[in-house]
Amino acid sequence: MKIVGVAACTVGIAHTYIAQEKLENAGKKAGYEITVETQGTIGTENELTQEQIAEADIVIIAADVKIAGRERFEGKRIIEVPTDVAVKSPNKLIAKAAEVIVQPR
Amino acid sequence: MQDDSFYQIYSNAALSTKNEVYVFLSNVARLEDPLQKEAVVKQLIQREGQGSMLIAEHVVLPHIESNKVGKSQIILIRLLHSIESWDAETKDIRLIIGVLLKENEDVQIKQKIASFMRALADEEYVDRLLTIEEEADFYKQIKR
Repeated sequence: MKIVGVAACTVGIAHTYIAQEKLENAGKKAGYEITVETQGTIGTENELTQEQIAEADIVIIAADVKIAGRERFEGKRIIEVPTDVAVKSPNKLIAKAAEVIVQPR
Repeated sequence: MQDDSFYQIYSNAALSTKNEVYVFLSNVARLEDPLQKEAVVKQLIQREGQGSMLIAEHVVLPHIESNKVGKSQIILIRLLHSIESWDAETKDIRLIIGVLLKENEDVQIKQKIASFMRALADEEYVDRLLTIEEEADFYKQIKR
């Protein structure tokens, strides 16, 4: 499974980066390809490429604020949660993503 | 207390409520104006209203970006006794990691904070911060 994601929190200095790291670690631990873009106070980092988005089976948006570039994910399966869900339960979130992609659309 | 300006570490702090923690943070913060302590406490409370500060079992991360802050800092507080009830959902807090970010801070400093935040995603690292006894060891861990 290929996952792309975006992390963005209110202040943009704490949960954004913890959520990114936790999601990427959990995804890799489960054997998936995962890349998470951060939209924080530093700006956009680890920006997703069109190719990564096109190949992704699912998008995880862990955000407490409106993210930039949401239209990039039009037509994709999306899971959207607050950042604290990604921070507290990253493994469950990845497991949920695996469940979602086998469900009929 | 050890202080390298950017990181400040307080071990065995006798704080028993969330409000005491926020007042403590405002007291040790490098503010633009020392008379702005109350405003910083208010900002911390406001931020908490927007989402949980709990980042791991026993660990909370109060953080703000503020024009009241004169110097960005990460302030680690190991409590002498855990705070049994941080709020209705958050119990048994033993470590507080306060992040006070100056408004319009340099990207280099923001990167430094972001790097430390990413390190906090490692549960083993957080466990080490929770269990270190010696202040000097605590300091070594965050400077790794």
